Amino acid sequence: MPATDYQGSSVPFASLGRSILSIRREQAHSMDTHHDDAGGGAAAAAAHELELESFQRHVAELFQDLASAGGSSAGSSAGGGEELLSLSWIRRLLEAFLVCQEEFKAILMNHRGVLSRSPLDRLVAEFFERSVKALDVCNAIRDGLEQIRQWHKHLEIVQVALDPHHRAFGEGQLRRAKKALTDLTIAMLDEKEAGSVVAHRNRSFGRINTSTKDHHRLAVGHSRSLSWSVSRSWSAARQLQGIGNNLAAPRSHEIVATNGLILPVYTMNSVLLFVMSALVAAIPCQDRGLQTHFSVPRNFSWAASMTSLHERILEESKKRDRRNSSGLLKEIQGIERCSRHLAELADPSQFPLGEEREMELRQRLQELSQVCDSLKNGLDPLERHVRDVFHRIVRSRTDGLDWLGHSGT
Amino acid sequence: MAENGEDKLLAVVRHITKTLGKSGTMTDDILQIFSSFDDRLSRDKLSERIGRAAAAAEEDGPPGSSDIKRVLRSLDRQISRFVASERPIWSNSDESMAFLDAVDSLLSLIRDMDSVTSEDKMMIQHAEDLIHQAMIRLKDEFRALLDSQTGGRPSDPISSSFDSDGEDSEGDDQIPVAQPVTDYDVVIDALPSGTVADLHDIAKRMVAAGFEKECAQAYSICRRDFLEESISRLGLRLRTTEEVYGMPWPDIEEEIGRWVKVINVAVRILFPSERRLCDRVFAGLAAVADLSLAEVCRGPAMQLLGFADAVAVGGKAPERLFRTLDLYEALRDLIPEIDLVFPDQYCSFIRFESGTTCSRLGGAIRGIFTELENRIRRDPVKSAVQGGGGHHPITRYVLNYLRAACESRQALEVIMYEDEGGPVPGDQEILSSSLSVRIAWTMDLLQENLDAKSRVYEAPGQNFVFLLNNGWYIIQKVKDSEVRLLLGEDWIRRQIVRVRQWRNSYQKATWGKVIEVLQIAGLSGLSSSLVVRSLRDKLHMFNVYFEEIYRTQKGWVVVDEHLRADLRKSVMQAVLPAYQRFLERLMSLEAAKDLEKYVNYSVDGVEACIGELFQGNLRS
Repeated sequence: MPATDYQGSSVPFASLGRSILSIRREQAHSMDTHHDDAGGGAAAAAAHELELESFQRHVAELFQDLASAGGSSAGSSAGGGEELLSLSWIRRLLEAFLVCQEEFKAILMNHRGVLSRSPLDRLVAEFFERSVKALDVCNAIRDGLEQIRQWHKHLEIVQVALDPHHRAFGEGQLRRAKKALTDLTIAMLDEKEAGSVVAHRNRSFGRINTSTKDHHRLAVGHSRSLSWSVSRSWSAARQLQGIGNNLAAPRSHEIVATNGLILPVYTMNSVLLFVMSALVAAIPCQDRGLQTHFSVPRNFSWAASMTSLHERILEESKKRDRRNSSGLLKEIQGIERCSRHLAELADPSQFPLGEEREMELRQRLQELSQVCDSLKNGLDPLERHVRDVFHRIVRSRTDGLDWLGHSGT
Repeated sequence: MAENGEDKLLAVVRHITKTLGKSGTMTDDILQIFSSFDDRLSRDKLSERIGRAAAAAEEDGPPGSSDIKRVLRSLDRQISRFVASERPIWSNSDESMAFLDAVDSLLSLIRDMDSVTSEDKMMIQHAEDLIHQAMIRLKDEFRALLDSQTGGRPSDPISSSFDSDGEDSEGDDQIPVAQPVTDYDVVIDALPSGTVADLHDIAKRMVAAGFEKECAQAYSICRRDFLEESISRLGLRLRTTEEVYGMPWPDIEEEIGRWVKVINVAVRILFPSERRLCDRVFAGLAAVADLSLAEVCRGPAMQLLGFADAVAVGGKAPERLFRTLDLYEALRDLIPEIDLVFPDQYCSFIRFESGTTCSRLGGAIRGIFTELENRIRRDPVKSAVQGGGGHHPITRYVLNYLRAACESRQALEVIMYEDEGGPVPGDQEILSSSLSVRIAWTMDLLQENLDAKSRVYEAPGQNFVFLLNNGWYIIQKVKDSEVRLLLGEDWIRRQIVRVRQWRNSYQKATWGKVIEVLQIAGLSGLSSSLVVRSLRDKLHMFNVYFEEIYRTQKGWVVVDEHLRADLRKSVMQAVLPAYQRFLERLMSLEAAKDLEKYVNYSVDGVEACIGELFQGNLRS
């Protein structure tokens, strides 16, 4: 929804919020007492205002922090330290989500007395519907992480095969590494197919070819196993669309009607959509699609950083070497780059390696060990974070629906 | 005998070869000659012996560099032949034995080369290249063995072991559908023990050569396929959280029924069978076994738990309680089994997730209880208030609901207790306190709602009859069920006191004025004609009141027969003696024939009328 919904107002949110809230105060006498903390009159209204503003401010701070992450190239010197779309950045993104979610939940709880009033009841219920959709994204992402873990296993074999402590690399070691790299390439290629076309399981006629040399069969079995958490027709792109559907920026009359509470609901909806689409962009999953329509009115203090992050992710996806990638995760890029270089260098047919080649190989192996370290240290915590997000969504939905119900009488 | 002879022959030939062959090429040439001379003296049979001889020789003392070189060359020839073989090596046990022997020799040779100060870099590399080639081939053989026979086709072992009749229903080529299982004490041997032994032989070598990652990977991919297929054959469809969320509840209920069966088969049969197979294939290699098993079971386990998670997320309508409890109890009962099959660190994820899913189901159940409470609280006051003041549907609903729920008392106790956080205590009283409080709270809400409903009745006293009916019903329903244990005897006593109070209040509200009118105490100072007039007025009023009460309360309902009799009796006890005294007094002042004009009811008549009260429309 374009910013003009605010009747051309381009004031920053804080003052916008204040003016909206003061409209509300003026009308307050004509409306019945709205919220739990009524009674205090002006003081209560000020506290209410403060609560809503501080939520906006926290969201803005969190996303500013995320947006300060370094760019794609190695020289990431920007404040945040983490590289955009790296495992650690995504972890931070999820942490930010959890913080937003908790604060949002607190707001709902403080106002549980009025949640059942129209149109707030519908808006809150819609948010929870969206969050259910996010649960499946979490499941799909967990599968995607499992996929990356499998790729990591291939790389570990390469690491064992080409142990840099060896004085020299033998033909057999090169062959072993090359084989692991080939398996990896096939596995990644397979995932790409699964990412665009939906992976198919042919249980009934899958095992005719028992040739032990048929690597592809292995790889197909592989991806089939891992696309198990969501059904074959499931599509991440469609899921994101579902989350983003009818997500319109609040109009001023709605702000008044909801006593400003529509603002945190809209904000949380946007955070949910952004976080889920960033996950889908970064991590392999079924039918990714990055053309999520995403636009928020600039009036919100967090809008600038969120929009800029969205654009940077979009840019990243358009880069030549990333366009066909199974995920924009930095570490996936690392895997692809390393494995490509290593596959060239570790070619048993070129044995013995010349001194120069061997030097280069050792250098690439160092890169590989960096990628592997990052995966080793980053995958498990991220998976826990994803589970955490799943659980928190469930829990806040449960509580929220309780409040929706409670306030009925 | 023949074999023995052949052995001897081979030994002789080997001896000749060894004595004559001073250099590698010479040995080679001699081998060539022998093998073309007689089939039994094929190169590999001979060189196998030579490999062993080399290994034996090593024990005597460190072999010289030239010895190693010679043995290595011979091993190279054997292994290269195997590696290049078009046929699966394990299709022939002699072949596979020979291959393993060669690999063993090579491995021990490499070990020796490490220990011996062998400066020959080329030789080490040669040996390592060779072992790599052998390993790649071994991995392929390993996978082929896993895929072979029944290993790749889960239908056979499962359907046959699920067939409770034990009959072989071979013949028709239908898609095998698993029979219902009652006995979970089954282990499926997906692979014949010979194959398992072969796999173990290979695994041992691969781990010894540092190829455990490849080995575990090949193993887990293949077994996971098998496991997933096994589970999918049990008829559970794959659903996303959102899909489950959108399903109508009766469909989910059906699915839960299936799920409970499937998770039992998975945890009690399939996972332990995989554990057993894994432990046999990787016998003596515990770490590899644990890692491989985790890889095999992780995905399917998560998938199964995913359904329970999705149910936990779904709505909170009270009717969801019972099937959700089934789900919870099924999982709870399986947790010890899960801990047993997956005790190690690699599988901790599965243990952890099972526990979390279980407590999430507990949370969902608490949510359902909250929803029940909300519904009680919100039940419209004017809804279905019946003319007679009998049992209200909500009383019936809540009591029957709680009775049914308390059949899963143990589960509910833990679930409610867990809400407080902290470990589940051993003390039963402490444990059940949370549920007791919760149920008592629900009963309070019900009473509040009934109180509000009772106020809708306009006829004086009918509100008390309504409360009396429902209160009595509550006592009866609580008394003969598990709910009694939770609410406790004190609660029941209190409830009985309340019922008594309502009875008294009813009596006061409807019969108070009747009894008052029959009072004759205040007439003592008056003249007899005044007394007569006053008594006549009183009698008239009694007739009016009584008729009115009889007319309306005949249509009221006291559902319980016992309660009805009790109530009538207490009304009679209050009214009849007073009426009797009143009539006696009147008779002492007036002639009987005058009396007839005023007295509409005899004492017996009043008694009979009271005996007709509270029948509702039961009576025509």
